[in-house]
Amino acid sequence: MKADITVTDNNNPHNWLNDHGDYLYRYAMSRLHDEELASDLLQETLLAGWKGHAGFSGSSSVRTWLVGIMKHKIIDHIRKEIRERNLVESVESDPTSAYFDADGSWHEAPQAWHENPEALCASGQFHTVLDRCIEKLPEKQQLVFRMRDVSGEESEAVCNTCDISATHLHVLLHRARMALRYCLQHHWFNQEEKS
Amino acid sequence: MKHACQEVSRLASDSLDRPLSLLEKLRFHIHLSVCGNCRNYTENMHLIHKATEMMQQTNYGHIRLSREQQQRLHDILHRETGV
Ligand SMILES: [Zn+2]
Repeated sequence: MKADITVTDNNNPHNWLNDHGDYLYRYAMSRLHDEELASDLLQETLLAGWKGHAGFSGSSSVRTWLVGIMKHKIIDHIRKEIRERNLVESVESDPTSAYFDADGSWHEAPQAWHENPEALCASGQFHTVLDRCIEKLPEKQQLVFRMRDVSGEESEAVCNTCDISATHLHVLLHRARMALRYCLQHHWFNQEEKS
Repeated sequence: MKHACQEVSRLASDSLDRPLSLLEKLRFHIHLSVCGNCRNYTENMHLIHKATEMMQQTNYGHIRLSREQQQRLHDILHRETGV
């Protein structure tokens, strides 16, 4: 394909890559957690941008415009993933029941942690443990947890991306947070007390 | 209140994503005032919530495309767009 339009600084895809490539790559990585996939989606985004840049009005910045394209690529990818891998979670059988006795009281009492988020974040080891705990979550819980709690997206956006109801999102997040808290209790906080 | 802690743990999570109804709020706070376990649970969950949010910035803040990835993308762009 030959470029039959004038290439300027603003519509040169190589400039997009140089100026916004890292940002877009980070954006995809924080949501998908997969280097190869993030790089592929960046490629698709830049090429889609090239094909459609005539439609770029210039009313927003180039970066905002490219992020908008990438957002759609990510949504498409996630929906396809959910569909093809049949990522469903039963609403009927509630895995959080395992944390409670038959009368609905805690099977194992949650402990007070006496920690602050800044100190936790300063610890590289904590990151590793947290990452491992997140990776142990069932796939669909992991997906919504990463979008909502790790990337900080609005609930509505997560529901829209995954094509699920708000109630279903709340169920999945509740399960994820419950399992994560338990995992951290056992793999981080209990270990700390011993050492 | 039957199954109190189990239900309250759900409210604790939901409160991060939606406004609780007046009745739910009342139930939640009355229960927390008498249940140390659920107070700990709620505090732990808030701590994790804040820590994951902060982690996002420190963890992903330094991520960059590698030289090889950049070169590969430049090559593909050149091939596909002719620019
Ligand atoms: Zn309780």
